[in-house]
Amino acid sequence: MKMPLVTRRTALKALGATALLPWLTDAGLAEFAVVQAKKAPPRLKVLTPTQYRTVDALVEAIIPRDERSPGASEARVADYIDLLLSEADAPLRKQWLAGLHALDAEAVTRFRAPLVRLSEKQMTALLTDVSRYETATKPAPDPALQVARNEQPQPPQVDTLLGDVNLPRERPLLEAFFADTKQATIHGYYTSEIGIQQDLRYKGNTFVPEFVGCETEVGKDCPHCGRKAKA
Amino acid sequence: MATDPTLDIDLADVLQESSRLAASVTPASGPWDAIVVGSGAAGGMAAYQLAMAGIKVLVLEAGRMVDHRREYRTMEWPYESPRRHRLPPDQRRLSVAEYEFLDRPYGNDPSFAKLKKLASYAGNSFTRNWVVDEKQHPTTGTPYSWVRARVLGGKTNFWGRVAIRYGPLQFQAASRDGFDIDWPFGYEELKPYYDKVDVLLGVSGTREGLDQVPDGIYQRAHKLNCVEVHFKDAVAKMGRRLIPGRAGVTTDGVLGNKYRAQCVGRGRCSRGCDIGATFHSPTALIFPARDSGNMTLRPYSIASEVFLDPATGRAGGVRVIDANTREVMDFKAKVVVLGAGCLDSTRILLNSKSPRHPDGMGNSSGLLGCYLSEHHMGPRGSGFIPTRIGTEPTLDDGRPTGPYIPRFRNVTDKHPDFIRGYHFQGGGGSSEFPGHANDMPGFGKAFKASVRKYYPAQFSIGGFGEVLPRKENRITLDDTVKDAWGIPAVRFHYRFSDNEIKMAKDMADTADEMLRAAGAENIKIDPTMLPPGWSIHEIGTARMGDDPKASVTDRFCRLHDVPNVYLADAAPFVSGGTQNTTWSILAMCWRTMDHLKEELRTRT
Repeated sequence: MKMPLVTRRTALKALGATALLPWLTDAGLAEFAVVQAKKAPPRLKVLTPTQYRTVDALVEAIIPRDERSPGASEARVADYIDLLLSEADAPLRKQWLAGLHALDAEAVTRFRAPLVRLSEKQMTALLTDVSRYETATKPAPDPALQVARNEQPQPPQVDTLLGDVNLPRERPLLEAFFADTKQATIHGYYTSEIGIQQDLRYKGNTFVPEFVGCETEVGKDCPHCGRKAKA
Repeated sequence: MATDPTLDIDLADVLQESSRLAASVTPASGPWDAIVVGSGAAGGMAAYQLAMAGIKVLVLEAGRMVDHRREYRTMEWPYESPRRHRLPPDQRRLSVAEYEFLDRPYGNDPSFAKLKKLASYAGNSFTRNWVVDEKQHPTTGTPYSWVRARVLGGKTNFWGRVAIRYGPLQFQAASRDGFDIDWPFGYEELKPYYDKVDVLLGVSGTREGLDQVPDGIYQRAHKLNCVEVHFKDAVAKMGRRLIPGRAGVTTDGVLGNKYRAQCVGRGRCSRGCDIGATFHSPTALIFPARDSGNMTLRPYSIASEVFLDPATGRAGGVRVIDANTREVMDFKAKVVVLGAGCLDSTRILLNSKSPRHPDGMGNSSGLLGCYLSEHHMGPRGSGFIPTRIGTEPTLDDGRPTGPYIPRFRNVTDKHPDFIRGYHFQGGGGSSEFPGHANDMPGFGKAFKASVRKYYPAQFSIGGFGEVLPRKENRITLDDTVKDAWGIPAVRFHYRFSDNEIKMAKDMADTADEMLRAAGAENIKIDPTMLPPGWSIHEIGTARMGDDPKASVTDRFCRLHDVPNVYLADAAPFVSGGTQNTTWSILAMCWRTMDHLKEELRTRT
């Protein structure tokens, strides 16, 4: 099955009204695809519906909707994490779910409410605490990522995106869980259509008869970096 | 397991075609003048040269045919794939740590037992059907990340496209610093062949007038983007050069090849270029050779040894194990050309034992397998270039390769700590995945805005350094471990010396120094060396020379001991410089084949 790309025909069929044709500009179609993707119910493999809502709230707090683009929830990162969990080895899945449970329990302890019911302020306070040490214990970047710049993103070498049960757990459980989940969220979000097209506004993977990078390379002032054409 | 339409490619047609082709070619299908082993850069060029000269040639490819239209998923977005281009759980690739710390063979680790396929580090969702299964293709000895692809075209299906010439600095390296020996000839000897390769295959680049990386005959170059121009200006003040990448990709088109179109700047070359702008051996060499009517191709044909014709003392042909049926067949020809990839060609020779050649064919000097070299890499640096922080992204990656910083050590000066040198590759700007996001602290709107802010400003470089050719760095055949077809595995005896380690340290230092000069923010330097073999630039193990006691082949890459066996790949190279090897393999192979054509014309 291909990804549910919305063609004009399927959109019309879904709407059941050819009279709406003028409304269905390309932008309208894109919008429809987003709505459709957002509204499709999750087909969960590992997470319970309650856990799914918790993960959904957590990833949206890590990469939220802002004025430029939707966040991790609409990009369906929780569904992606569910897929990752379904293909992870049992000990890793157990470790990650224990982390989720612990973070939710922490929310209850501190705010008498589970993660899904935290206010923005409470969520920020909680995540600020659990992300305190993340820069200090960041693992080295994947060397394979550094080799070929034009390649598509590759997963980290410890190939789970959800952490590694074999790594020594120097960090407390909640910090480690946050770091692992953030990594999975980054990967899930920035490989989604929302992340690539709407948020980053990535310009590549298209046809360019002639690559022109900096416009000073073709003798003009460059509007992108401010460099002046050589006199 | 979740279905993944982008990974579950239907290969039925190409598998069927491969089996049909293999079954249709038997030892009785000949006669052939020459047998070429391998269909990558070396085998492809050998086959092309011979077939175009009217010589009947049989090409033996160990893997299957390739279905370009289905298998080269050049423009696929990650969100078209449910796993976002990650491998399914029953397949994986080896990590840096595993190469360094696992016992060999790597595939023996019990935790890999459940996997359907264990790939080298170069395995990904695009290359996974081409790179070999480490469990079927074991290696032993010291750590070595040996990347092999058994499929029509070999590694050229996903090669890095950097097309750089060797120059005088490298052919006469020994004369300059007294280490080891020079090549038996100089740049002038190979220059005409580089020129011909440039014209036949197409290469994009700029003329720079640098001895380290001599100029070629270039098609339209790929320009520098904003962060690269900024970096170029900064390092120019230090007397260093950053030049546009030289890519084995045709930007203006090539004449007389209906399988190739010119580059349209999609920047997805490593997945296989489905319009054939990138040099891939099948479209550029193998298919035109086939169309000449002089080439027979047999897939699924694993060469185990070159056998001797006892009557003449010359090679009689190649013993083949059919990869599917395991039938053993002897294919005969007047000449054998090995282009299986440096180490596999040497492995075949080491395995070609007879009473006359008890230590392997061509090994009377005892040097077959010795002087293994490649390029050490790992030290790298990254940072954000201030002129693009906080700007809207531009199209920065629509081209086959990033810029190149040619070697600047031991060119005119003399470094106190090490001989020879290294170059950097890298580049910057926005690419599809914001790799820098993994290093950004925090969460929430501030995090998200920060990823966007630095997205167009990313810049990184990594070094490639010469590994000194040393006799003790070598391969042998393992006494007990064999591959899935019963052929002895390669045993590595290979370690970096003090010279490489000191050079690697200097790489990290100069990366840091240049990023500082460019005023980069958030500079990160990783000085760690990657495991041996990571560059996929292996050279040596059957070195050439004029003295049969000190070399394996003569200056035309022909075995001193058995004059109708030639090497078409990088095995005869004396030293490797810092240059990416493919373009030199192509030029050297053309030269070797010119010699062979003349031999065939005049001998009979």
